[in-house]
Amino acid sequence: MDAKLLNILVCPLCKASLLYKKSGNELICRGDRLAFPIRDGIPVMLEDEARILMADEEV
Amino acid sequence: MNYDHFIDKRQLRRSFERAAAGYDQAAVLQHEVCNRMLSRLDYIKYIPDTLLDAGSGTGYGNRKLVMRYPSVRVIAIDIAMAMHSQARSLIPWWKRLPPFYKSNINYICGDIEQLPLKDSGIGMVWSNLTLQWCDNIKQTFSEVRRVLKTDGLFMFSTLGPDTLKEFRQVFSGVDKYRHTNRFTDMHDIGDLLAHNGFSTPVMDMEYITLTYDDVVSAMRDLKAIGAHNIADGRQRGLTGKNGWRRAVESYETFRIEGKLPVTFEVIYGHAWK
Repeated sequence: MDAKLLNILVCPLCKASLLYKKSGNELICRGDRLAFPIRDGIPVMLEDEARILMADEEV
Repeated sequence: MNYDHFIDKRQLRRSFERAAAGYDQAAVLQHEVCNRMLSRLDYIKYIPDTLLDAGSGTGYGNRKLVMRYPSVRVIAIDIAMAMHSQARSLIPWWKRLPPFYKSNINYICGDIEQLPLKDSGIGMVWSNLTLQWCDNIKQTFSEVRRVLKTDGLFMFSTLGPDTLKEFRQVFSGVDKYRHTNRFTDMHDIGDLLAHNGFSTPVMDMEYITLTYDDVVSAMRDLKAIGAHNIADGRQRGLTGKNGWRRAVESYETFRIEGKLPVTFEVIYGHAWK
């Protein structure tokens, strides 16, 4: 994941900054509890494609 | 409010995912309009440091923009992942290798109605023939303005209401379903820009007519660029055989000099934050 890109990316819904989780290769919005996938180095910033974090999932 | 207008976004994405591979052969209009937008840029003395290509498709536009602004950083956003894969495959393999590779382009899969970008970080937002797929242009304009830096430039092209007027006319005699997507009028777009706080919007419009040998090849091209009907009021299922025959026959009445015309009303605009 390109650091320069990570710097300017925000959650498409609430516009808050995102947390990059190297382990799952996901970008996480804590507020909306969504994990956006990174596929082939390309962040997929679509609500439809995001994983909803489980209630007990620590971020 | 007329609800039969709404664009089905998931369907839109699916149709562009499928269209990516054969897109560049069929995207004659997209390329032509892009070139015309670029020539309009000749009169604008402004060099952006970052450029957002909103609805970047296979990257035809941003490759040309990089030639114009060699030091610009490009962020290419498209709703279809397959478009980016196609864009990347068009970069020669040796340019993708580390010693030659200068990463001045980032790809994002996203929706321009909900931009996943920080406020005030972009010098120029460029959008070629994409806004016509937005469900809510007002929302899109406010997103564009949000991500633009102060004094940043928004430059776009989109399609106006006379686009595909032949199809609309032909099918209106056949059934009650929508066979084309809806398109917003140039004046309304100008008003929306002003209402969203853009300054000195400049708008203009021209007709571009593509000609085809027959209705089927015209439809095939529209489908190849992902631009077939995805409006919510479309018919779920196929138009009947009789309906088709009647539509094709009635399209034949438009034939001039052996060719069938397909009209596009192209709207150009730019405005400053």
